[in-house]
Amino acid sequence: MISNAISLMIAIPLIAAVVALFAGKAAKYVALVGSLVPLAISLQMFQAFENKANVMQFVESYDWVPSIGVKYTVGVDGIGLPLVLLSTIVSVMVVIYSWGESKRANQFFALLLLNEVGVLGVFTALDFFLFYIFWEVVLLPMFFLIGVWGGPRKDYAAIKFFIYTHVASLIMLLSIFALYFSYSASTGIRTFDMLTLIQATGDSAIFSPMLMNVLFFGLLFGFLVKMPAVPFHTWLPDAHVEAPTAGSVLLAALLLKMGGYGLFRVVVPMLPNVSANYITLMAIIGVISIIYGGFLALAQKDLKKMVAYSSVSHMGYVLLGAGAFTWLSVQGAMFQQFSHGLITCVLFMSAGTIQHTAGTRIISELGGLADRMPKFAVLMLAGFMASLGLPGMCGFVAEVSVLAGTFTSELPHMQLYVLIVIFGGIVVTAGYHLWAMQKAMFGPILKKYLDLKDPHSYELLSMSILIVLIIYFGVQPALITDIMGVAADQVMGPVVTLAQMGVI
Amino acid sequence: MTLGFADYLSLLGAEALLTGLALLMILLGVFLKNKNLMGYLSLVGLAISVFLVVGVDMTKGALFYGTVLVDPMSQFFKLIFVAVSFIVVISGLSRYKDHPAQDEFYVLLLLATVGMMVVASAVDLVTLFIGFELASLSTYAMAGFDKTKENLEAAIKYFIFGSVSSALMLFGFSLLYGLSGTTKIAEIANIALADMGPATLVALLFVVAGFGFKMALVPFHMWAPDTYTGAPTLVTAFLAAGSKKMGFVAAFRVILVALVALRMEWFMIFAILVAITMTLGNLGAIWQNNVKRILAYSSVAYAGYISIAFVVIGAPLGEMVDVKSIPFIGVEGISVPVFGLAAGLFLILAHAFMKTGAFISAAVVEDMAQKEGKENPNDIENYAGLGQRAPITAFCMLIFIFSLSGIPITAGFVGKFLVFGSAIYAGLVWLAVLAILNSALSLYYYLRIIMYMYIKEPAGSKIAEPKGYVVAQLVAMLAVIGIAIYSEAFFQFAQRAAEGLL
Repeated sequence: MISNAISLMIAIPLIAAVVALFAGKAAKYVALVGSLVPLAISLQMFQAFENKANVMQFVESYDWVPSIGVKYTVGVDGIGLPLVLLSTIVSVMVVIYSWGESKRANQFFALLLLNEVGVLGVFTALDFFLFYIFWEVVLLPMFFLIGVWGGPRKDYAAIKFFIYTHVASLIMLLSIFALYFSYSASTGIRTFDMLTLIQATGDSAIFSPMLMNVLFFGLLFGFLVKMPAVPFHTWLPDAHVEAPTAGSVLLAALLLKMGGYGLFRVVVPMLPNVSANYITLMAIIGVISIIYGGFLALAQKDLKKMVAYSSVSHMGYVLLGAGAFTWLSVQGAMFQQFSHGLITCVLFMSAGTIQHTAGTRIISELGGLADRMPKFAVLMLAGFMASLGLPGMCGFVAEVSVLAGTFTSELPHMQLYVLIVIFGGIVVTAGYHLWAMQKAMFGPILKKYLDLKDPHSYELLSMSILIVLIIYFGVQPALITDIMGVAADQVMGPVVTLAQMGVI
Repeated sequence: MTLGFADYLSLLGAEALLTGLALLMILLGVFLKNKNLMGYLSLVGLAISVFLVVGVDMTKGALFYGTVLVDPMSQFFKLIFVAVSFIVVISGLSRYKDHPAQDEFYVLLLLATVGMMVVASAVDLVTLFIGFELASLSTYAMAGFDKTKENLEAAIKYFIFGSVSSALMLFGFSLLYGLSGTTKIAEIANIALADMGPATLVALLFVVAGFGFKMALVPFHMWAPDTYTGAPTLVTAFLAAGSKKMGFVAAFRVILVALVALRMEWFMIFAILVAITMTLGNLGAIWQNNVKRILAYSSVAYAGYISIAFVVIGAPLGEMVDVKSIPFIGVEGISVPVFGLAAGLFLILAHAFMKTGAFISAAVVEDMAQKEGKENPNDIENYAGLGQRAPITAFCMLIFIFSLSGIPITAGFVGKFLVFGSAIYAGLVWLAVLAILNSALSLYYYLRIIMYMYIKEPAGSKIAEPKGYVVAQLVAMLAVIGIAIYSEAFFQFAQRAAEGLL
């Protein structure tokens, strides 16, 4: 195993981003190499990962600003590793899908790589200072991707995206300060170490219940905006509609997962120490997101906006599963993150391809595209089926685990929530997917679309790899869920800090 | 311990060198035809000064009968002043190349720097005032250096406001002297404030007002946007990054010592002042289309952020009598006031570099637009497509703006992180929340500049970026990023400075 695997995995895209910026026309090759190497490293890590061990692995830790207790600490466990794998896979797919990008291509590919740096950092950082830095770094490439390569209202969308999510991060930052100063005031140790601080929240001598509840709210808010959960989802449709396809894919597949990751890493381990009302709050917000997001998707005329709202709906499962706090539901919620990351890529790529071949994304103006684009239609259909939860694909496994796990929860009203989701959410989800598919792709072909062709081979290639993965993980979910099962235990049990592991 | 001549020279070597150099340059200027040499001379002098400032022994105590003190606090600020002048001189090499009066520009710049350095070291009211006036008089002249209509207006405005503030300050000083019979700040704090009466309060009020002008705190900020907009941009960079910081060091030396001695709950007044300054600064900036004006208002907002340090220092004093009795935290712990002041110092350092850099980037655009005959050379429209027209300038400006808005990984981010953190540390959650909301608000006008630079279509062809400007911006940018990465060293410096003062 390579030593310093994680640092290497973060550094290589960063270096590649700088090289790509100056590479001119060769930028896309740089980007491909710069994203394939981290993929190789993450696969290697996946191989070497000790499945059964309930602790952080591949840990690296160096002092950075010792006078305030900041360290550069990275490491992965069952929560982080699947998302690291997801990030490296999606980054490669996005580079392949964008192979034909010609507008300011060097900057475009540099930003894709920079985005990878940010998300990998978020999923591996174990120091709140470092975590916050990467959390903010992610905003920059997305701001430019929307702003430069976006649609007609890109200025508005880019600024709204940046400010909205930045405010949420700042609120989260306040809570981090509260964690840090309370801990150092009572123990005399100044540290931003995430595991130590999270573990200490169980000690009511350090964190009074009152303080815990306020602080918890700040953190939860920061993550809910990122996910995004209703009612904090309004930045998402604007950002998605205006973003270029690659931006949308990264946004939905990776950036939203940061919110979910924060839930599992920070929020869920604290749940036993805060007011029980928070669990109800999380579950209710989850249910509302699933159903309201679904209905919003049903009402959309724009295919991409529909997909965007479907993300809100699907991320609701993550929140519901985390809030239900059973082993199966938490594991299912984690798997939902992974599977939604793969599926939503295909959905946004489909919307993007339709946009640039047919020239519009308005569902009612499309019709019968499958007739001229058969290969694309198969892939898109597979993606839509995966998204609505067809058995045999990974979305099904995840959502069934969440619902089954939530049903067995001993917390109040959880069974009721499951019933509401089943009757109110799933039907709608199936409805808008099938309706959009039927209207856009099937039926008699419209005259104006007679001379359409299947899209470029690189677009088909990236979509088909993703579909293969979706089916693969749908049939063999254990590859990922075995890791997540251990992680779910870990999330719900007491946190094991690095010091207890003897790493630092 | 009596200090010999050699001690004086080693402790105040930088001041001596720069004063000597300035005088020499005046002399040379009379004889030389080609004055381009002057810029390089001052550049070398300033570069040596950086090492002299950092390299001194900071433990020797006071000089000149206890009026000048060389301690970590003074050296921290001197480092800022010298570094800022250094960057301004580099860009001056391009801006004032072949200018017939360029020697005067550099001489004034050096003298102003020396004045600021004297203020940083002064622990006596008279020395402080002399340093203040030396810096002020030099910068008055510099503000009108290009002799355009805007310049002269800015200079007059700056001169009038500056004189009034000097007068107020002097009046406050005279009251303090009359009350205590001494001009040494530490003794005044002990004598006059021990039996505090209305006269002491009035005196302090005048001093606060005098310094408030220099710091551009609301309600003494009115001159700043006008002067910063009208003055030659390089001078603006120097004013915003250097002259303003002189106000802060003087305030730390005088007001802080006095207020700490006052032992009363004065921090609320400052908290309100800070809240208003931040908010008004940011609200002012949002409506502007002139980039220099945006940066000027952001400078006012920054005066607010930095002044959070005063509030944080004051907050625990309400309950506890003596700074020394505040419990220390941790093994080698930092008390709340020390942390607050160190955080404020760190933000001052960060702000000095990013503001200098941002104004120099603005100068590049201004020169470009003037050459194209644009009516409003600083209008934000001129920034359209700058990413393609002047890639280096645009990229540096991008980093400075990210730093100003507190995006990692830049000095501004670490500074804001520390300052907002210190507010939470002191239990001032409402102030931290307000500061954070302000920071989010400021993002709007910062992002607008970035929008224009990278997202709008270019308004003209690619331009040649003057070499001096490019180097100056790169130096400032490296400083902004370097301070963030090596924040440990700079924070410890700031912490030592803070511990020395309190």
